[in-house]
Amino acid sequence: MNQLPGATAALPRVRLRRLLRRSSRPMSPLARREARQGLLFISPWIVGFLAFTLFPMVATLAFTFLNITLAQETPLRFVGLDNYVRMLGDQHVWQSLGVTIRFAILWLPTSIIVPFVVALGLNSKYLRGAGIMRTLFFLPYVVPFVAGVLVWEQMLTDDGWINTFLNLIGVANPPSWLFDAGWIYPALVFIGIWGIGAGIVINLAGLRGIPTELYEAARIDGAGAWATLRNVTIPMMSPIIFYTLILGVVDVLQYFLVPLVLKNGTGEPAGSTNFYNLNLYQTFFTFQEMSYGATLAWFLFAITLFVTLVLFVLARGRVFYAGER
Amino acid sequence: MDPRPAHPRVTRLAAILASAAFVAAACSPAATTTPSTVGLPGNTGEANTPPPGTFGLPSFTPAALRWYCCLGTGEDPSQQPVEKKVAADLSTVFPGSSLSFEVVTYSSARDTLATEIRGGNGPDIVGPNGIGGLAAFQGQWLDLAPYIQKSNYDLSQFDPAAVNFYKSPTEGEIGIPFDAYPSMTWYKKGLFSEIGLQEPPHKYGQQYQMPDGSMVDWNYDTVKKIAMLLTVDKNGKDATQAGFDPSHIVQWGFEPQRDDLRGLGAYWGAGNLTGPDGKTVVIPDAWKAAWKFFYDGMWTSHFIMTGQNFADAKINPNGYPFFAGKVAMSENFLWTTYGVADAGTDWDLAAIPSYNGKVTAPLNADTFAILKSTKNPDAAFAALTYILGDASDQLLQAYGGMPARPAKQDSFFQTLGQTTGFPAQVDWQVAKDSVQFADNPNFEAPMPKYNETLKILNTYLSKWTTTPGLDMDSEITKLQQEIQATWNS
Repeated sequence: MNQLPGATAALPRVRLRRLLRRSSRPMSPLARREARQGLLFISPWIVGFLAFTLFPMVATLAFTFLNITLAQETPLRFVGLDNYVRMLGDQHVWQSLGVTIRFAILWLPTSIIVPFVVALGLNSKYLRGAGIMRTLFFLPYVVPFVAGVLVWEQMLTDDGWINTFLNLIGVANPPSWLFDAGWIYPALVFIGIWGIGAGIVINLAGLRGIPTELYEAARIDGAGAWATLRNVTIPMMSPIIFYTLILGVVDVLQYFLVPLVLKNGTGEPAGSTNFYNLNLYQTFFTFQEMSYGATLAWFLFAITLFVTLVLFVLARGRVFYAGER
Repeated sequence: MDPRPAHPRVTRLAAILASAAFVAAACSPAATTTPSTVGLPGNTGEANTPPPGTFGLPSFTPAALRWYCCLGTGEDPSQQPVEKKVAADLSTVFPGSSLSFEVVTYSSARDTLATEIRGGNGPDIVGPNGIGGLAAFQGQWLDLAPYIQKSNYDLSQFDPAAVNFYKSPTEGEIGIPFDAYPSMTWYKKGLFSEIGLQEPPHKYGQQYQMPDGSMVDWNYDTVKKIAMLLTVDKNGKDATQAGFDPSHIVQWGFEPQRDDLRGLGAYWGAGNLTGPDGKTVVIPDAWKAAWKFFYDGMWTSHFIMTGQNFADAKINPNGYPFFAGKVAMSENFLWTTYGVADAGTDWDLAAIPSYNGKVTAPLNADTFAILKSTKNPDAAFAALTYILGDASDQLLQAYGGMPARPAKQDSFFQTLGQTTGFPAQVDWQVAKDSVQFADNPNFEAPMPKYNETLKILNTYLSKWTTTPGLDMDSEITKLQQEIQATWNS
């Protein structure tokens, strides 16, 4: 039955009024004591959050309007939007953003599809030794990342294991993975794939949560494997896929550790690993320009927020939430 | 009997105190030592003011000092025991003071120091610092002039040019000469003799005898010709022969000093990037020629390693390929003595080639400096005089640095020549002679946006060493424009 629009709008207002009435009621002494104790127990976190997250964030926003440098050779002063204007004309900012976007185009689909496909395989009832396989796939995730990057560096050098293998199967001139600006991104993707254990676990948990009745119904309807995947698995997994997409976007915009360890932050080869976050880090600590670095950090925050919001808008109607009314 | 339950207020108070302690512990900086305020004199500072003309430290308050390394050399595991001993011995020289040695590898030393300074936790003494290391922290160094004056520190024991090296128009006297690293051509005698080539000349101005017997100037044209003969592929063909396979080279003829494009250029002529107005980027013509020679050597004539080869740990396991015996001639500084023993026992030193009839042998020099943020400048200056004085012999041997005090140079080379693994006879006179051809202005001299400019230079260096087929004229123009845009911002 259709409800009048006025009636549907009135319902939340009634609930809100009830809530307000309830909250304005005086708390019992026991409730007050519990509230105080609760606040007391979380106070270390609150203090830590205020001191080490919120205050630095606000401070860095204020820095963007000042001229703070390490040497501070000129007096500290308010510079208005100078740092933002400089940023817009700084080709290194746009180059580093371009590097990040180029890598993201390659990495984001990979970081979503590969864990999903591996999880599908691990979830298969036909797979023998699924437990061992799950452990093996997750194992790299618990290896310290820096150690992993250094191992990969040895594997990807011109005469490393990968090129030795390629030589064995007849590839005469295998790529120079780490020293060719065109091949460095596939190399970084390889290194990234090594650490997708967490993504596999998340996807696996999602797959395990899909009601088996849906698969049975699909089978009864005569759906094959592809149709089941397309019409049951993917829609039911859409919240997980969306979640990994959001995390992936945030991660890729902050991509930093691998180029720092692999290339010592030099941006080699030929600036192809000069990611935005690396440029930001160097602006702070190598170039010692604190205010300008803060400006770059806020610009990154703005980009991340914008992309995330766009994704949320695009996801409307495409992501299926079983609990949603 | 059950334990008596705690009073709720007591429990709450305990919880508050515990929380406060937790937060305070989390927020407090690392434990710091506060120097005692006992006014002990320095080692020679019995009197508060030294008699005129004699060195003596005015009395100072002993302090716990921090020595930060390594914006220059100093991180090698073989050097650290010496550095630690020198630091530990300070407390015997200046009772009540101490010096803790902190080593941060060169690759991250600048970032870490910047973080410490900005965090208000900077060290007292920083060194050894190259000219570039000092330039990277312009505005951070303590002007030593008043301390030199107060203590009558004798600067006449150094070459005046070396003293002037550390005089900054904006910061004053930021260093006292400690050591110098002239550059030479390092070569493998065996690789020359096996194909019947004459060894490069040891004396500046001497000519070189080519295989056909003709005598030619020892310049970069000559270097290229013999370097191609010394470049060999896996089939034993040299780079001048038909059928030479550049993708499988096993031995290269020449290796320039490629750590920094400025340094690479400085072997061809002294200069820097700053134009007369201090704002305009000017690339010296000699540097342009050097960079083109370098690029041609890698990608066309093949007598210089490409970036891929250089980065390959199997070819170049310890920083410089000459160490692995894969290069016949290499231009580098004296500090490469730290690893050159790996090159075998048949290496020697030769003159740097000339360009356009002029020899330039770039110079690296190190010193120790005091951060102006130090809370104990007097104690730090006292420690500095100890490092540059009593402790300098030990450190100079560890660093392979030629003493800035000319009186100590002969004994230094005598000891250096006895290093385990070095050839019995090395012509160290070449190193001494090279000083006369030091680059002036020095290639590491300060310039606007120092660290940003270095990054741009390194990006182009990386591009040129990994990318064949580039138009170098266009590349150099782009480099100049990019640096100029950074200086203008």
